[in-house]
Amino acid sequence: MENSQKFCGNCDGHNCYDYPTKIFCSTRYAQNKNPIVDTLWCCSDWSQVSQDCYCVQEAKKAKEATTKQR
Amino acid sequence: MQRKDYLLNPVEHMKIKAPLTVDQLMRQFSGSGSFSAGRLAVACDIYEKMLRDDECTVFLALSGAVIPAGLRALVSDLIRRRLIDVVVCTGASMVHDAIEAVGGRHYKGSWLVDDRELYKYHIFRIYDVLVTEEDYVRLDYQLAELYSKIADERKGEPLSSREFTWELGKYLSDPQSILRSAYEMNVPIFMPAARDSEFGFIHWLHSSQQNRKNTLCLDAFKEVPEICNICSQSPKNGMIVIGGGVPRNTVQSAALASKKGMDYAVVVTMDRPETGGLSGSTLKETISWGKVKDEADKVMVIGEATMVFPLMAASVLERLGEEFQRKPKTSTGEN
Repeated sequence: MENSQKFCGNCDGHNCYDYPTKIFCSTRYAQNKNPIVDTLWCCSDWSQVSQDCYCVQEAKKAKEATTKQR
Repeated sequence: MQRKDYLLNPVEHMKIKAPLTVDQLMRQFSGSGSFSAGRLAVACDIYEKMLRDDECTVFLALSGAVIPAGLRALVSDLIRRRLIDVVVCTGASMVHDAIEAVGGRHYKGSWLVDDRELYKYHIFRIYDVLVTEEDYVRLDYQLAELYSKIADERKGEPLSSREFTWELGKYLSDPQSILRSAYEMNVPIFMPAARDSEFGFIHWLHSSQQNRKNTLCLDAFKEVPEICNICSQSPKNGMIVIGGGVPRNTVQSAALASKKGMDYAVVVTMDRPETGGLSGSTLKETISWGKVKDEADKVMVIGEATMVFPLMAASVLERLGEEFQRKPKTSTGEN
């Protein structure tokens, strides 16, 4: 796996909500919590995604770009 | 038949001179009367005849991915002009309609792409049409909330797929939406295989919520008398089939069960009959079941529907003119 750090964006339960920065988490939805979370966030229910995607690396790029703008 | 009876209609060679309207082109196809051109011209004649027949209820059986590929507004407009009385479709067709109704889009792509890369970008491919995962997910989120609202209102009482699509149409506000148009025009939409689409997975999401008191319940059998009664109460019935599968079978079976048999039938498909599957079965074969009458006006157009159906609709709309009006044919759409 390309991403060794734990993020919502490389969690097995992740689906895009606003690519690449926001994730829809069906586990949180089932728990009646706000299901929209940051791609670079993480919780204790994290489990490794089975197939890599670009969410984490693109979210990091987006964060860097935002930081530079500021 | 005598020898001379086979030689009554010579092929008229097509004369294509600009400017040419769609219906003028169809008339040239009719003159040729051959192969796919001839069949398409016959399909236009049959659809026109169905619409001019005051006693006929027009069913549209819709399968395949023609809605994301560009036929959404056309179907919606035909519903609003009352040129379709009943829609029977796959769940996916209405999922794609709803995706656009809540702000999503489908994108022109190519079949020659790196599908692994699409996966990494969370983009899905439907041949050469692309749709993003977030457009699905935003719909999932909104509809899971709607499912909960409907379930609480109905207190667990099951809905037919027709009642379900009526609820969806009531919720959506996009006037271009098929679901919305059908809701406003009281045109019933049946989705006999609703579960086999995103609507099924949205149910999973909705029912996964902790402490959820009521869950939405669809009764697959509740719609059977609803659609059979439409067929039974209509003096005549006609069907336009795009693709085949469950929607075509549902319409044909309603005609069979109501002991009516279709009076008009147009099937647009690319499927073959040799497997015994319904999508490619010939209209001749349906006569053996009583699903289509032997004397019915019928034709099977072997072609891809995103090309065939708009040509057919454009030609018929041109023939009917702006002033043409049909009365509503069904009352089952009222809830």
